[in-house]
Amino acid sequence: MATTTATVSISSSDLQPGNTLSINASSTIMQTGLTTGLELMDMGIGHLRQDSARDALAEATGTIDTTNWVYICNNATDDTFFIKVGIHETVIGNLGAGDWMWMPWNMGHADNEINIEAEPTGATIPYEYAIFKSTDTLPASDAA
Amino acid sequence: MALIPTLILKDSTTFSDEINFSVTDSLTVAAPAQSLSTIACATAGANSIIVPASASGCYLFVRHTGNLSNVVLVENTDDSQFANLKTGEFMFLPHLSGSLGVQVQSAAAVVIEYAYWTI
Repeated sequence: MATTTATVSISSSDLQPGNTLSINASSTIMQTGLTTGLELMDMGIGHLRQDSARDALAEATGTIDTTNWVYICNNATDDTFFIKVGIHETVIGNLGAGDWMWMPWNMGHADNEINIEAEPTGATIPYEYAIFKSTDTLPASDAA
Repeated sequence: MALIPTLILKDSTTFSDEINFSVTDSLTVAAPAQSLSTIACATAGANSIIVPASASGCYLFVRHTGNLSNVVLVENTDDSQFANLKTGEFMFLPHLSGSLGVQVQSAAAVVIEYAYWTI
């Protein structure tokens, strides 16, 4: 069985005087039902160009209401470059240079694609990503 | 003020090559910030707003504590859902959606942990 473990730690020594922040959490990512791990994974790197507008990082090609996880990291070194991240028409947030995000992705229905867009004008942003999925449906072949 | 988040993903059972990577970051954050807190989800998201409306955006951490097995829906405050959390799962992301805040809801009173830091 696939056993993928995600661990996050968030710390700060100067956020609150006299109170060091140290958050730690870990979970094994599972398919719906909490017994089977996620066995499908896409992982890669790319360059996102601002002039290509909003691009789909991944289409919602799996079964609706299943568990899927997304990691995206903006590897830009120019701190004015950021990636706008959304799910279809829902804007989630802006990923700044060097920033990463980890979140579940409910495919929900067919138009719940994850989309990313480079900003500002003229930006080309290197990024990396990993998507762990419960299910996937391969696109139909165009061959006659 | 600096916030240091680190994510580690490990898997040695699924593929013939082990997945094992770590990414960290140093984030500059500002007030207002909400220290690690808990809330029992209401059945209507409008009654469980965890990040107030702001044009600044924030880094957000949310974790399902597992006191109940119901799924937690994470939404913008216009009710547009963008994530589901099951028992024990967590998420960390930058949030900025116009000037909308973030709310959670569940069919039962699931307790979540959350914290946010203004960008």
